Amino acid sequence: MQQLFAAFGVNVSLIIAQAVNFAIVLIALWYFLYKPVLAMLTKRQEIVAKGVQDATLASEKLAHADGEAQKRVSAADTEANAIVSAARESAATEKARLLKEAEARANAVTKDAEERATEAAAKAKRESEKDIARVAILAAEKILKEKYD
Amino acid sequence: MHEGISVVLKAEQLGSVFGFPITNSLIMAWLVMILLFVGAYFFSRSLKLIPGKLQTAIEWAFEGAIGYMTEVLESEKLALRFFPLVASVFIFIAFINELEFFPGIGSIGLTRASEFLPLLRAPTTDLNFTLALAIIAFFTIEITGIVTLGLFKYAGKYVNLKSPIGFAVGLIELVSNLGRLISFSFRLFGNIFAGEVMVLVASYFLPYVLPAPLMGFEMFIGLIQALVFAMLTLFFIKLAIMDPHEAH
Repeated sequence: MQQLFAAFGVNVSLIIAQAVNFAIVLIALWYFLYKPVLAMLTKRQEIVAKGVQDATLASEKLAHADGEAQKRVSAADTEANAIVSAARESAATEKARLLKEAEARANAVTKDAEERATEAAAKAKRESEKDIARVAILAAEKILKEKYD
Repeated sequence: MHEGISVVLKAEQLGSVFGFPITNSLIMAWLVMILLFVGAYFFSRSLKLIPGKLQTAIEWAFEGAIGYMTEVLESEKLALRFFPLVASVFIFIAFINELEFFPGIGSIGLTRASEFLPLLRAPTTDLNFTLALAIIAFFTIEITGIVTLGLFKYAGKYVNLKSPIGFAVGLIELVSNLGRLISFSFRLFGNIFAGEVMVLVASYFLPYVLPAPLMGFEMFIGLIQALVFAMLTLFFIKLAIMDPHEAH
C-alpha cells in the first residue's frame, strides 16, 4: 500500500490542501455566483408573477368597466326617454293651454267688436233721430212760416 | 533530459514552504481558483434584471440544474441546499479539465537536475485532488444520510441482523459504499490522466495532425467527467436519504 501511495504521490497534507481549495471555491462561488444569480431569478419571478397578477386585475377591471358603462348607457337611455316623453307631454299641455288662451282672447275680441258695433249703431240711430227731429222742426217751422206769412 | 515519452503518475514537487510540498497540480488549482473568483466577481457585478446572453445562459443552466435536482431529490428545499456543492464540483473540475490543453500547461516549466518539471499540471491528473473531492463527496453523502434518517436507521442499511441474507446484503452495501471513495477518485484521475497520455502518445505518431482533434475530444471527455462526478454525488445523496425499505 505504501508503494502504491508513493507511486501515485498520495500525500495527506496535499489531500487536505486540495480539500481546503475546494472548500474555498465552494464558499466563493456561493457568495459571488450562486447567491446573486438565485436572488436575481427569485426577483424576476416575483416581478413576472406581479405582472401576471396586475394583468388579471386589469382585465377584471376592464370587464367590470364595460359592464358599468353599459349599465350607465342603459340608465342614460331610460332617462333620456323619460325626458323626451315628459317634454312631449309638457308640450301637449302647453299647446292646449295656448289654444285655449287664444280662443278666449279671440272670443273677447269678437265680443268687444260686437259691443262696439252695437254701440256705434245705437249712436248712429240716436244721431239720425236727432237729425230727423231737427228736419221735422225745420219743416214745421217752414210750414208755419208759410201759413202765417 | 529524458528522450521519448515521459509519463509521471504523481504530480511533480516544485518546492516546499515550511515542509509543505508545493506541487505543480496545487499551483494550477490555485490558478483556476483565481480565474473562477475573478470571473464570478465580475459576473455578479454585471447582473441585470433584463439579462444579456451570458447571464441568460448561466441562469438557464442554474434553473435546469435546480429543476433536475428537485426531480431527483423530490424536494426543492434539498435541491437548493445541495446545489452549491454539486455545481461547484462540476464547475471546478470542468474548468480544470478545459484548461488542461491550453498552451503553456505542461509545456512551461523548470529544468532541475536535467529533469523537466512542468510548472502547471491539471489537478484532475493528481490523485491527491481527486481523492480530496471523493472524501468531501463521501462525507457529505454519509452525513446527509445520518442527519436525514437518523444514526440507527442509517446504520440499519449496512448492519442487518434480521436474517443471514440481510446481513450479507448489508455487508456488501457497506463495502460498495466504502468503494465509492476509490471509484470516485480513480475514475476521474484515470480518465483525465489517460487522455493526457493518449495525446502525448499521438503527438509522437502524427505530431501535427492527430493531437489537435484528440485534444478536442479530451476536452469533451473532461466535461463529461465533471458531469459524472457531480451527478454521482447527487445520486448517492439521493440513495443516502432514501428509507432503507425504499432503497431495496
